Amino acid sequence: MGFFLEVLIGGLLAGVLYSLVALGFVLIFKASGVFNFAQGAMVLTAALALVRTLDIAQKEWHWPFWLALVAGFLFAAFVMAIIAWASERLVLRKLVNQEGIILFMATIGMTFFIEGLAQTVFGADVYPLNIGLPKEPIFILESVFDGGILVNELDIWAAVIAGLLVAGLALFFQRTRIGRALRAVADDHAAAQSVGIPLNQIWFIVWLVAGLVALAAGAVWGSKLGVQFSLTLLALKALPVLILGGFTSVPGAIIGGLIIGAGEKLAEVFLGPMMGGGIEIWFAYVLALLFLLVRPQGLFGERIIERV
Amino acid sequence: MTARTRSFNEVLLSVENISLSFGGVKALSDISFDIAKGEIRAIIGPNGAGKSSMLNCINGFYHPQEGAITYKGVRRSQMRPHEAAEQGIARTFQNIALFRGMSTLDNIMTGRNLRMKTGLFWQALHVGPAAREEIEHRQAVEKIIDFLEIQHIRKVPVGQLPYGLQKRVELGRALAAQPELLLLDEPMAGMNIEEKQDMCRFVLDVNDEFGTTICLIEHDMGVVMDISDRVVVLDYGKKIGDGVPDEIKNNQAVIDAYLGVSH
Repeated sequence: MGFFLEVLIGGLLAGVLYSLVALGFVLIFKASGVFNFAQGAMVLTAALALVRTLDIAQKEWHWPFWLALVAGFLFAAFVMAIIAWASERLVLRKLVNQEGIILFMATIGMTFFIEGLAQTVFGADVYPLNIGLPKEPIFILESVFDGGILVNELDIWAAVIAGLLVAGLALFFQRTRIGRALRAVADDHAAAQSVGIPLNQIWFIVWLVAGLVALAAGAVWGSKLGVQFSLTLLALKALPVLILGGFTSVPGAIIGGLIIGAGEKLAEVFLGPMMGGGIEIWFAYVLALLFLLVRPQGLFGERIIERV
Repeated sequence: MTARTRSFNEVLLSVENISLSFGGVKALSDISFDIAKGEIRAIIGPNGAGKSSMLNCINGFYHPQEGAITYKGVRRSQMRPHEAAEQGIARTFQNIALFRGMSTLDNIMTGRNLRMKTGLFWQALHVGPAAREEIEHRQAVEKIIDFLEIQHIRKVPVGQLPYGLQKRVELGRALAAQPELLLLDEPMAGMNIEEKQDMCRFVLDVNDEFGTTICLIEHDMGVVMDISDRVVVLDYGKKIGDGVPDEIKNNQAVIDAYLGVSH
């Protein structure tokens, strides 16, 4: 029982990290109907900007750690703002009212461009990232189970960060004028314009928010794995999460992440030995595929009802 | 009920020699008319006459190739939709364009968008000025909800509402902006008699109580002749009549257009 819980909790915490990446996709898809393939590249760019500023400020300018950390986050946020501005100005604005697939192809192009540019500017090595999150494994519930349950403290912090981020975003979307404008644009472009919502400004804000979510994801994943090119592949891990949770739902991204994370780990540990192991790599995709057959709109997605 | 006879002297908006074409198709050719401050102006005409295109020009969705529109004394040939909204032009759509996933309340709140001014920073924190502003505008919206008698559906996602109520919510959203000029594209289409009567009452009340100038497109001739001060008639993108309802009723070109005389 203790072992099962340990695997489950480890899986759920890993799932939260998937959610963090999926969240960036959901935000942009909700507001502009664009599946932003470049989200993974944005995670990498944000993490690189953060880790490089941190390194340089500490090693060359001899700033204290906390000051370098603040500077690193501010600079990375600034870089994300530039990416948001440039994508709206140079790509999206030219493609208004085009088919979804065309916008999707455009974001694939942007992915390669952003990846290349980020590595040219910041370097392509693997950089260890330390933002002050504890990395020691700890034991919890020692009184209940023999030997306690082993969890990674970094994962707990990551879950807390993700939780705060989601709560903040939910409040922003539900309770403020700009949040309402974002939802309005997602629902109907023409109607939104007629009540005086400028589309361009809204798109910039959405990409900026998605960029900041990418920064949070990059900071956490970077602390875990080191900042390296493979961070962009997280985008692929977010896909099954999105299929499960629905492309348009913020809570869906969270629940989807939890299911995938927990499912993956449990399957690896309990089903793996029967099938020769290594199923963690593909389990999420199979789960998503099965899900597609039953509920194509995802758990929380809007139902697709079409008149024929 | 007989047609109302009121007189107006100040011109709010005038359309001068507007021509609009899509590729080879001429949607509007050389249209001129004006809308006086405070009046209810109707645009009528058979299907495909260019009525909605005309509204889309006024509100900035379409940019006519020729001609100009003077609004509140300022002449311009192009304007973007959100700029039109900033100038006090609000509208509803022929095929309801509501934010279907949002509640009635939230839909109408979006109409207040331009009147809310706190910046992204306060919005993100949702404290101080942003929270105060939200409450202030909420009150204005509640008044509109009372006025349109839709209290019972405040929290319902509009996608679930019947057609007639959706039209009413859309009117509410347009009213929330406190427009000077309200453009209504077929506000009574697809409604039953009772719903039409309600809608007529709302349109007249908006005009009387708030002094809002209204330009509406409508197919129900009974309604048009009852509530409008002046009527413009379009057919095949050309203006074939313009005047008070009684003149229009007796205009031979208009009668021909509606009965279908060969051109």
